[in-house]
Amino acid sequence: MSVTDNGSLRDDFANEPPAHFWRSLDDLARTPSFRVKLGREFPDIAAHFGRAVTTDRRTALKLLGASLLMAGVAACKAPAGIAPYVDQPEDIIPGRPRFFATAMPLDGYAMGVIAESHEGRPTKIEGNPLHPGSLGGTDPIMQASVWSLYDPARSRSVRRGTEISTWDEFLQNIAAVRAAYLPRQGNGLGILIGAETSPTLKRQLAALKSALPGLKLYRHAPLNPPADAPMPVYDLGQARTILALDGDFLGQGPGRLAYARAFADGRRVRKANRQMSRLYVIETAPTLTGANADWVRRVKPSAIDGVVQKLLDGASGSDVSEPDLAPLLADLKAGGAVVVTGPQATPYVQAAALQLNQKLGAPVQYVAPLEIAGDGDLTALVGDIGAGHIETLLISGIDAVHSAPAGVDLVGALKRLKTLLHHGLHLDATARLAHWHAPATHYLEAWSDGLAYDGSAALIQPLIAPLYDSHTLHEIVAALGGDYTSSAHDLVRATWGRLDDAGWTAALKAGRIENSAAASAPARALPLTAPATQSGGIEVKLVPDPYFRDGTYAPNLPLNELARPLTKLVWGNAAEMAPKTASSLGLKDADEVELVAGGTHLVLPAFIHPGTPEDTIVVTLGWGRAYGDGDAVGVNAFPLLGQAGPLIVGKTGKRGRLVTVQNDYSMEGRDLIREVELSNWPGPPPIPEEQPRVMPQWDNPDEAWGMSIDLTSCIGCMACVSACVAENNSPVVGIDEVDRGHDMHWLRVDRYYSGDVDAPETSFQPVPCMQCEDAPCEVVCPVNATTHTHDGLNAQVYNRCVGTRYCSQNCPYKVRRFNFFDYTQDITETSPLSLLMNPDVTVRERGVMEKCTYCVQRIAEARIGGDVADKPIADGTIQTACQQACPTRAITFGNINDKTAKVVAEKAEPTNYAMLAEIGTRPRTTYLAKVRNHPEDSNG
Amino acid sequence: MAQVFSQPASQIIGLVLWGLLVLILVVPIGWTAFDHSPWNTGQFAMPAQPVPFSHAHHVGEVGLSCQYCHQGVMTSASAGLPSTEVCMTCHSQILKDAPILEPIRASFRTGKPVVWQRVNKLPDYVYFNHAAHVNNGVGCVTCHGRVDDMPLMQQAAPLTMQWCLNCHRDPAPNLRPAQAEFSMDWQPADDPRKLGVALLAHYHIHPETLTDCYVCHR
Repeated sequence: MSVTDNGSLRDDFANEPPAHFWRSLDDLARTPSFRVKLGREFPDIAAHFGRAVTTDRRTALKLLGASLLMAGVAACKAPAGIAPYVDQPEDIIPGRPRFFATAMPLDGYAMGVIAESHEGRPTKIEGNPLHPGSLGGTDPIMQASVWSLYDPARSRSVRRGTEISTWDEFLQNIAAVRAAYLPRQGNGLGILIGAETSPTLKRQLAALKSALPGLKLYRHAPLNPPADAPMPVYDLGQARTILALDGDFLGQGPGRLAYARAFADGRRVRKANRQMSRLYVIETAPTLTGANADWVRRVKPSAIDGVVQKLLDGASGSDVSEPDLAPLLADLKAGGAVVVTGPQATPYVQAAALQLNQKLGAPVQYVAPLEIAGDGDLTALVGDIGAGHIETLLISGIDAVHSAPAGVDLVGALKRLKTLLHHGLHLDATARLAHWHAPATHYLEAWSDGLAYDGSAALIQPLIAPLYDSHTLHEIVAALGGDYTSSAHDLVRATWGRLDDAGWTAALKAGRIENSAAASAPARALPLTAPATQSGGIEVKLVPDPYFRDGTYAPNLPLNELARPLTKLVWGNAAEMAPKTASSLGLKDADEVELVAGGTHLVLPAFIHPGTPEDTIVVTLGWGRAYGDGDAVGVNAFPLLGQAGPLIVGKTGKRGRLVTVQNDYSMEGRDLIREVELSNWPGPPPIPEEQPRVMPQWDNPDEAWGMSIDLTSCIGCMACVSACVAENNSPVVGIDEVDRGHDMHWLRVDRYYSGDVDAPETSFQPVPCMQCEDAPCEVVCPVNATTHTHDGLNAQVYNRCVGTRYCSQNCPYKVRRFNFFDYTQDITETSPLSLLMNPDVTVRERGVMEKCTYCVQRIAEARIGGDVADKPIADGTIQTACQQACPTRAITFGNINDKTAKVVAEKAEPTNYAMLAEIGTRPRTTYLAKVRNHPEDSNG
Repeated sequence: MAQVFSQPASQIIGLVLWGLLVLILVVPIGWTAFDHSPWNTGQFAMPAQPVPFSHAHHVGEVGLSCQYCHQGVMTSASAGLPSTEVCMTCHSQILKDAPILEPIRASFRTGKPVVWQRVNKLPDYVYFNHAAHVNNGVGCVTCHGRVDDMPLMQQAAPLTMQWCLNCHRDPAPNLRPAQAEFSMDWQPADDPRKLGVALLAHYHIHPETLTDCYVCHR
């Protein structure tokens, strides 16, 4: 827990020169409590056991005796039944996974995925290399999406009010609605959807509207751009200069994975390539894009128009009033520049970006609008209900009550409806108001289709029959049209009638439909309105949570526990502010802050987030969504969205709860992360790494696995960690356990700041197990539970482990995780989550140590494949889960004995270094130093 | 000096001390013996099956190949059990009204699988792979015994970790040529060790890699 006392912060700096890189203000200031925490291997454990267990000598002896007796019981085994198929499908070989191409709808847009299925249960998602929106990469949400399929909190049955009902009765009710509104030509009937691009749904809704012309379609997608705006498609691969104006192209938007790949490809500095693009960012809240910038200015929301105006003036030749912008203007004029913006930018900034791109001849294409446009938004809906124009409403796929912005009395309006039908994955606030609720299918359960960011279409095919009585929106819309029998498959197939059976099969197999990219369209002309004038006082900036988006994924517990890329916060949101702002408000980390604007009153814990613009409070949306029987996690900030009134910031005087993993496992400011200027590349030669060896010498005659992580390519998105959790059956441990430093993620992404506290630069460093050749963990294990394999892995043997934790104590990288409790005890055979487990990885018990294995199950799989085919393992056959998930291909894995392997070439780069090489552990995981392309440097 | 302890008391003390010594020796030996005995390992166990399927008849007398029913054995970790359809390939013609085959016919009629009892059970943390063994010269007989002599299927091997490791440390004597993979009665014509060494090279088996923990545990 962070306990920065800002009053004494500056004094602490004065006492001790800060390290070049720092993780948090506590780290930078070296506060006493932070030092105490660092000294503990597992923070707060003593306090925890003192609280939970009170054992006297007598009880201890009893337990000792009992455990001796029980030791034999574990060996008892009952023969289990095995049920073979009655009629085995021809292409199924029990014991071998199968892979299917499908697509995940995310913010309405299709992200192509390859889903892995074990005996009919989907267990893992990978990116589809053939899909333009994925290119083989994934993001944390996609990786965690399988969990949502088996989410125990999912709605399982149709409900009429609070009574359990059936799908047939729901259909009868739909038929009654249809019968009532058919004579009125649909007048009085409405449908509310979120962001949707499905061509099938578009076709169905168009058909329904022609049958019922009075039907109204409303769209509520608070995070997406307007549905009728042409989508910009940027070609970042060729850009030499990228300027992002409040446009988080690495963290948001349906093209983010493709853009991240192009961005990283344009910055891979190697011996053979010294070219590197430069990223300028001007933004109003810290984003992933800003964290990866070579030059970043963060200003309060009302000030960005003024900065961009100066930029426009400079670009059109007039004098630059701001010398600060000179390098940016020089680079823009040098050619090969592109300006990126996003839906959250102000109208002025969007218009300015368009004008700049046109002036620069930037490689930006626009494609025809992709999303299904409605007749109105939530405000229009509430108005129509109030005016009595809508009396029956179907809401599908969104928790509109949760995400309703300020000034929209949706609950009051919904209560006035004659009939409210809800279709969704959870019994959420909207479902609780509905007269009828029908459970929705997960995307792995049903047929559908969707469009990628460039408009190319992909089919969504199910891998498993619906677990519950769930149905698709396609079926409900068909039923409203009088078709009660067509399945979602029939409906999707009918949309793609132009594909013959071979074309349909090919589209399913590839995961995308050939030549379906949208036609290009002219950019919408945006008038350059007057820029907003900067206002005084503190402003609030609302940004979507990187994992929950608008709250859609809030029920996903692995995403609750995945550290946010920049704040490293888990299990809750906060009022993020710059150190200066916190000082002026007299706030410390975790102090409760009151935000009052208009009629909205929110209480959140404060979080000092270096890099937040001054006088700005950043709050993430998507939290505070209640569903099922549980309480909401975090605070819902949607009531602040669009709130016009002035912001009043106060203190309650109480302490809130903040849990961040950024202070865990710190490594005392050693030279862990290295950076080099492009102009100075490759920089000073690395420290000689040959050290006297005292450990047993291992000989790896066959394979020797190794990994290289390119810190320039790593954008810190956390997809790798999410993939590791999904692949390796890592448990969710909950807020209390994370608070004690017991998070069970085998891979972490360390976030470092450097430079000025008020405008720091950010660096990311993924840290898996280093698989040391001279591993300190191995020699201290009293029971030989961590051993060295013939191919150089540090294998962890769960059945030998007795839980001394010496290995973790002796690990210089702090990458080992201990099962303090039986974290998987709730995953019994009756829990749907038991279907989620990867059958190739042991589910660990209480009391054993675990750590990154380099995905040994994938290595074993490839080795067995090689043994069966009698061939050596080709380079690239084995991809670790983190490597495969990475959208920027920052991670390379392979056999370092194979001189032609890609990983060997990476490790031969002059910027290659090993973390803590000086202690002689000889890690197999090495890093390529982060290359910075600061403008001061090349222009000056 | 008079004796401190009476005669019976010192006898008892002696008995207790000797008894303790014997216990210290006997308990670990006894425990180990029990641990390795068929009572504990399940070796020779013959669980009751819904249908008294006879490998002796189907393999020994009819001469079916193992792969006819266990189709995944060359390609998958799991050898697989025959689907009801496979049973019915023959039993829709032969013994089609036999009462003992009623569970099979019932399964075929209703679509509900026959639930067999597992004979060779490994713990969940052991990742055994049939394909890796069968494609590299380990015959079915080596682990499953002479099933052509088993009227009811029984666990032929102790399936202890020690038993697995005996072969993983020194696979040579247990290897056979590919054509003898499914043979029940194959015997090396020559010195088995000499043939084994040749087969190690033929299958590219590196015994030093076979004892890494992750070969079986992940």
